[in-house]
Amino acid sequence: MTLSRRTTMQWMMAAAVLPMARWSPPAMAAGMGDAAGAAPPFDVIVDWPDTPPLAQAIGYGRDPDLMMPKVPWALTLSVAQRRTVDLLGDLILPRDTVSPGAGALGVGAFIDEWISAPYPVQRVDREKVIGGLIWLDAQSRILHGQAFVAITPGQRGGLLDALSVAVPIAKMAAPVAFMDTMRKLFVLGFYSLPEGKVDMGFIGDQPTPGAYPGPTPEALSHYAQTLDRMGLKMSQA
Amino acid sequence: MAAYTLTKAGLRCILLEAGRDYDPQAEVNMFAPESDAPLRGAATPDKPFGYFDATVGGGWQVEGEPYTLREGSDFRWYRPRMLGGRTNHWGRHVPRLGPYDFKPFSRDGLGVDWPIGYDDVAPFYDRIERMIGVNGGPLGLENHPDSPAGCLMPPPHPRIPEMLIKAAAEDLGIPVRAAHTAVLTRDMPDAVAPRSACLNATPCTRGCTIGAMFQTTTSLLPMAKATGRLTIVTDAMVSRVTMARPDRAGGVEYVDRKTGMRHQVKARTVVLAAGTGETTRLLLNSGEGGRGLANSSGELGRNLTDSTGASFRAYIPALADRPRYNEEGIGGQHIYIPFWLYQQQKRGELDFARGYHFEIGGRFGIPPAEALPRVWGAALKKAVRSASGATIQLTLRGEMIPNKDSFCEVDPVVKDRFGIPVLRFAFRWSQNEVNQVAHGRRTAHAVFKRMGGTILDPDLPPEKIMTAGGEIIHELGTARMGADRQSSVVDSYGQTWDVDNLILMDGAVFASGAHKNPTLTILALALRASERLAQRLKSGAFA
Repeated sequence: MTLSRRTTMQWMMAAAVLPMARWSPPAMAAGMGDAAGAAPPFDVIVDWPDTPPLAQAIGYGRDPDLMMPKVPWALTLSVAQRRTVDLLGDLILPRDTVSPGAGALGVGAFIDEWISAPYPVQRVDREKVIGGLIWLDAQSRILHGQAFVAITPGQRGGLLDALSVAVPIAKMAAPVAFMDTMRKLFVLGFYSLPEGKVDMGFIGDQPTPGAYPGPTPEALSHYAQTLDRMGLKMSQA
Repeated sequence: MAAYTLTKAGLRCILLEAGRDYDPQAEVNMFAPESDAPLRGAATPDKPFGYFDATVGGGWQVEGEPYTLREGSDFRWYRPRMLGGRTNHWGRHVPRLGPYDFKPFSRDGLGVDWPIGYDDVAPFYDRIERMIGVNGGPLGLENHPDSPAGCLMPPPHPRIPEMLIKAAAEDLGIPVRAAHTAVLTRDMPDAVAPRSACLNATPCTRGCTIGAMFQTTTSLLPMAKATGRLTIVTDAMVSRVTMARPDRAGGVEYVDRKTGMRHQVKARTVVLAAGTGETTRLLLNSGEGGRGLANSSGELGRNLTDSTGASFRAYIPALADRPRYNEEGIGGQHIYIPFWLYQQQKRGELDFARGYHFEIGGRFGIPPAEALPRVWGAALKKAVRSASGATIQLTLRGEMIPNKDSFCEVDPVVKDRFGIPVLRFAFRWSQNEVNQVAHGRRTAHAVFKRMGGTILDPDLPPEKIMTAGGEIIHELGTARMGADRQSSVVDSYGQTWDVDNLILMDGAVFASGAHKNPTLTILALALRASERLAQRLKSGAFA
């Protein structure tokens, strides 16, 4: 299935459900960097590793019990990998005054569920995530002599910054794609939970009988200002 | 629709459903958050529209029931295997075909005209809108007929992103109107199957236990059953139409999906409404000599069309950090962009024939990855809060003109697990459809730019951004109606020219597809055909 078709199907789905993160590199980021690629602040870059194949697993089938959803496949992250994932969760979406960190909230379990699933999209992500976790520890050892979980917060931050450049050099493309995948999965996993919805200020998921109330006066007033700035006329609804 | 109309008219019916029994009351998980589902409810090959989507037992693939493709063709065939079929999961956008849509050949010399015009179907549109429950507003546009008073329920107020799209589009001379949507905004009392107004929450495609979204399993089927004249047999995979004599159907043969046993049903008339592909397959697998039943015209299987599809997206900085409120509404779009260039097209100013429309999307939720910068930490949390509700979509649906390279036929070799020969598809978009999608993209991007948006679409040629044939699930035309038996399979009442007690009542009978979602027209034509059939049966036909 091509990207455009998969994207279209996801749009059709997103029209009905809470819109979800979509699966391609951030276009917003791509336009902002140096076309030649930004070199990371270290000279040695370890090679991208091979990832062990996923053991045979079965999906939930075409007619699962929708009233009692469950995940039939086994989780596959090792204890050490899960620890790194949880740490990454608390770095990528850290605790603040509004919401907890994604690691502390347990979104790591969702990452494990995702990369252990026997479906094509998830298998592709598995390669990136498992490969990335191996790469991250190897790169951390080369630079700082220890695995990622054991290095200092400043050293971790330096690595994540190198994985977040808008246009990476060729050798950093796969590690940056790993970070894109982690960001995508943590955003999806975190903001689909009640704590994440509260964080976004999402209002919904509740029956509102009667005519749909539409925008609040505050939202309408903001809209009127927006139109004004754009030189657009208020339309008759 | 046929079972409802015929049983209400006092006739006894047996309805054979290939899929399993299905009761939305017991199986629709309306309120569970996506986080209760595996993978947060994301689409998978097992559940292509998400875990909680109503479609069960089928989808793009059905176990043991393949279909095949001619070399070089790409086509997708969506097959729910459940009582109520596709009505349990559908788009709910129900525009009427207009006068031009019934006479496309007269207008541009392409394809064929329908044997009926808008005025023939209009009274049935009126009644169907009241029967299934449609909300919407006035249109007042060329070839977009308005419904008479009393047909429509009031439409919901548009959301802020929709209002902004409307302001920007209208500034460019593009009309935006309240969509006609098959979701109740007022209660619809009924002794047997009362339905409630939408409660402005939950995704419609999961199915609707309160009956606000139209689906036959919460409306027409229980009503028909209550007459005491309807027998429903599920897991009944019909394999062929059996004949009483060469020009008269005697019933059908079906395979019990659970036991594999073959059964015969005798009937005075046979109505096929199995969906465009399955209806055509049944006819091709029936009759004598491998030519198929009711195919003296040679048109059976030909003239296959789907809607064109493409989606366009932008991040709108002006919508970032906007005040929160409940944007769930009635599920899908509240307003849409109908086709508006009929005069330019008539003057020859466009490089494509026929129309398209845009369905509008965009509301609060998780921003797409493309709308987020490559950052981590506090900056990412800030970016998500800011970008929530700032991404909008325009989704194109356009008309395809039938071409000789798009058809379905029986595969000469492959059979399904019941031993029934499967369908093989051939499909090709023509330059007309490619040009149409290219025009749609220019239009969508112009609207985005007027709003100061950052376009998120990949820069690809139009051929690469179009959906595959069948992917919009609007497959139509393979047993088209016409004015004579030489050029068509059925008459305007769905009655096959060759077998007068064999009636077709689904998308297969369309003479052209229009760009307008077909369900309302399928229902209106089925009502018209069913009433005619009831009349004939009562006046002693087929005795």
